[in-house]
Amino acid sequence: MPRFQRLALSSISAAALFAALPAGATTFTISWWGFNGDKMQEIIVNPFQEMCGCEVVFETGNNGDRLNRLAMRSGAGVDVIYLTDSYSQAGIEQGLFQPIDRAQIPNIAELYDLAQAPQGEFGPAYTVGRIGLVYDAARVDPPITSWNDLWRADLASSLSLPNITTTAGPMVVLQAGRHAGVDAYTDEEATFAALAELVPNIVTNYNTGSEMINLFSTGEISVSMTQDFTLGRLREAVPTIEWAALEDGEIAVLNTINIPTGSENVELAHQFINFVLSADIQRQLAEQGVDAPVNATVELSPEAAAAWTYGQEQIDSLQRIDYSQLNPARDRWLDRWNETFGM
Amino acid sequence: MTTRIHPLLILFTLVVYVFLLGPLIIIFGASLSDTTYLTFPPQGLSFRWFQNIWDISAFRRTIVTSLQMAFLGTGIALVIGIPAAYALNRYRVALPAWLSTLFVLPILVPEIVIGFSLLRSVTVQAGVPVWYALLIGHTLLVIPYVIRVVSASLASFDFSIEEAAISLGSPPAKTFFTIVLPNIRSGVIAAFILSFITSINDVSVSLFLTGPGVSTLPIQLLAHMEQFFDPTIASVSVVLMLLTILVMIIVERTLGLAIVAK
Amino acid sequence: MKRLAGWMLASPATLAITFLLVIPVAITVGLSFGSPGQGDWGIVQPYADFFASGFRRNVLWRTFTVAGWVTVISLAAGLATAYVVARCPPWMKSTLIVLAVFPLLTGVVVRSFAWLVLLGREGMVNQILQATGLTDGPVAMLYTPGAVIVAMVYIFVPLMVLVLVGVLENIPEDLLQASSSLGAGPVASFFQITLPLAVPGLIVGAVLVFTASFTSYATPHLLGGTRQMMMGTFLQQRALVAFDWPGAAVVAAIMLAVIVATVLVMTRLARRLNPMAT
Repeated sequence: MPRFQRLALSSISAAALFAALPAGATTFTISWWGFNGDKMQEIIVNPFQEMCGCEVVFETGNNGDRLNRLAMRSGAGVDVIYLTDSYSQAGIEQGLFQPIDRAQIPNIAELYDLAQAPQGEFGPAYTVGRIGLVYDAARVDPPITSWNDLWRADLASSLSLPNITTTAGPMVVLQAGRHAGVDAYTDEEATFAALAELVPNIVTNYNTGSEMINLFSTGEISVSMTQDFTLGRLREAVPTIEWAALEDGEIAVLNTINIPTGSENVELAHQFINFVLSADIQRQLAEQGVDAPVNATVELSPEAAAAWTYGQEQIDSLQRIDYSQLNPARDRWLDRWNETFGM
Repeated sequence: MTTRIHPLLILFTLVVYVFLLGPLIIIFGASLSDTTYLTFPPQGLSFRWFQNIWDISAFRRTIVTSLQMAFLGTGIALVIGIPAAYALNRYRVALPAWLSTLFVLPILVPEIVIGFSLLRSVTVQAGVPVWYALLIGHTLLVIPYVIRVVSASLASFDFSIEEAAISLGSPPAKTFFTIVLPNIRSGVIAAFILSFITSINDVSVSLFLTGPGVSTLPIQLLAHMEQFFDPTIASVSVVLMLLTILVMIIVERTLGLAIVAK
Repeated sequence: MKRLAGWMLASPATLAITFLLVIPVAITVGLSFGSPGQGDWGIVQPYADFFASGFRRNVLWRTFTVAGWVTVISLAAGLATAYVVARCPPWMKSTLIVLAVFPLLTGVVVRSFAWLVLLGREGMVNQILQATGLTDGPVAMLYTPGAVIVAMVYIFVPLMVLVLVGVLENIPEDLLQASSSLGAGPVASFFQITLPLAVPGLIVGAVLVFTASFTSYATPHLLGGTRQMMMGTFLQQRALVAFDWPGAAVVAAIMLAVIVATVLVMTRLARRLNPMAT
């Protein structure tokens, strides 16, 4: 056979081979951050795959990216979606999620009250977290004790803030307003002037928690603002990382799971949510440093509990954000934020 | 060559080559490191990051998708591109001049604009499933390379041979496969290789067209890089480089590398 | 008859490109315009908004300067290298060409990633700088325009070398011999013969590199980050993160206009400057 024909034939057969590969068992699609991927695989995905006899695939990315892609597909393509409450609120407003049949998720009854139905008939919260500051104690002295410390001159080129397109981003604006002594919603001039003062301290802003951890582990930054679920992996990367004890308070965030309107495995999706809310899984996630539990029956050792927002009392003490006010403001702030940090 | 080259110029060329190849050597070293972070020179020697490529199912899946897109996309592009190139050369006077301009548009229009436009038209408006939309994007991306490279080799083909065969009673389709195609063989292979490499390395089009469970290797590499800064990226890079070397050896053996340089 | 056969063979490619490229891109461009009654500027209001924003102007300007620097540096490095490569003995020439082709076959993500490792605070470049005493502490190099430029030059120099080796090889040897037999030194020969004859090739290379770096995504994404946004990364942010499709369409249309204008002007220039043209 001439060489050319042989090459053509072999490439056609190779193509046919690969074309035949997909298909097979039911695929169950989870949309989440991709954060703590290996632990999630071990604690949630592998046991769930065994339980359902299905194949689990993922869509990963930050809240905004995944929610937008879902909206583009009119709610189809994934079976469950993990989001922080500010983004699940936006998804609900866009009509992308279906109401949850709570009868199919008996474990919801075991959750703290605020996690059971944080957004009406839609998905429950599976974890409760705080947004605060982290710093590398080996490189930052004196320690961080207040949001105002972000403006310290000795932190030049050592800070990364969450981008405005993430959950915590708009809260940076709120803190800047507080730093300037004004209400961020009404006095944008003073608020963004205070933000502009932060520019010399910033290396780059991040879009995903993983990106922020990379920035710490490669030494690019020594201070950042983040949600507490990143702490476990941060400490693995850089043992000297501390969660700052802030005298001016931390912000509560609830992470929710929802079922999009276009889910092709609605029953399986309910089973999945019930599975991740079970006391056993919630305890494993907490002990492995993945997520704080919201299942009230989970008992944690003091060491394991120390890292988390844990127990009724602490949960009650956190400040909640009014997303009906913050979400529209975020869209308004986007351009000014870009002008402040992108120049 | 008769002209002597100034030693400084030779030194400069040497520096350029160190600049070109050094980083690749560093990736190679980093992929063998036993540490969980990226270092060079490597500390300890381990192949576990290569093992990791296989262990992470997202890599397995995206490698398969990338190969599917590269083989099928290039295949389809060849099937519709070769006749177009043939028509452009054989019937040049009968076809309008703008046609050859139309065929290079996918190169002229920025890839990222193509990706965004396809997302809006094909994925969102027409509701084409992700896998097929991705295939459309990859096919479109490589069509101009096929047409251009095949055209170049058809340009030196003497069509009077074909006409002679047809006038002797050989059917046109058979004539094409027995006379024309063997003569432009090297052009077709070059088009295949160029398209394959373009497709498998594409970021800008795939960026917009990937979806849940369907992603390509470069996009997965970007996603993994956002989550982990471990040597897995380096080992995937090494595997890709080894594949590249393999392709180059095959090309060199069959055709000579001059063809890629075109 | 010939016309019909020609069209039949060309139709699959023609239809595919028309329906899957021309029309979708035209829709994108259409989306970038506003409605006639809107604002002071009517249908070009979205463009007026784009240029009224300091941030967006800055992104556009940064993209121009980065792509410009990348083109100029790649041209200089590529020309010098190609000049040497074209004058090497054959075996060495083919080795050098293979070594230049090889990085070209390696993906943009992999090659940008290499610089992410090299330019980090604890990367090799910083280690060398500190070991040689050039700097006291680590220098922040990532997420600067410089980092993007270095990585892009790295990506595009091989392309430039390959284009220019081809061009330089096509310069007739007789001309150079004639020039030196008339007493011209190598430098004079280069500037009076080689360079003018290479101009069309230089323009082709410059257009290739400029358009590719102007529209790139992966390299500015990895090495520029959110503070050094360029048109490619900005388009991605508008389209996929902010979900602002009209805004993304404006970015896309501006990119398209810049690229088309560059190609048209430069090909015309190349034709005019070509000393071999009749």
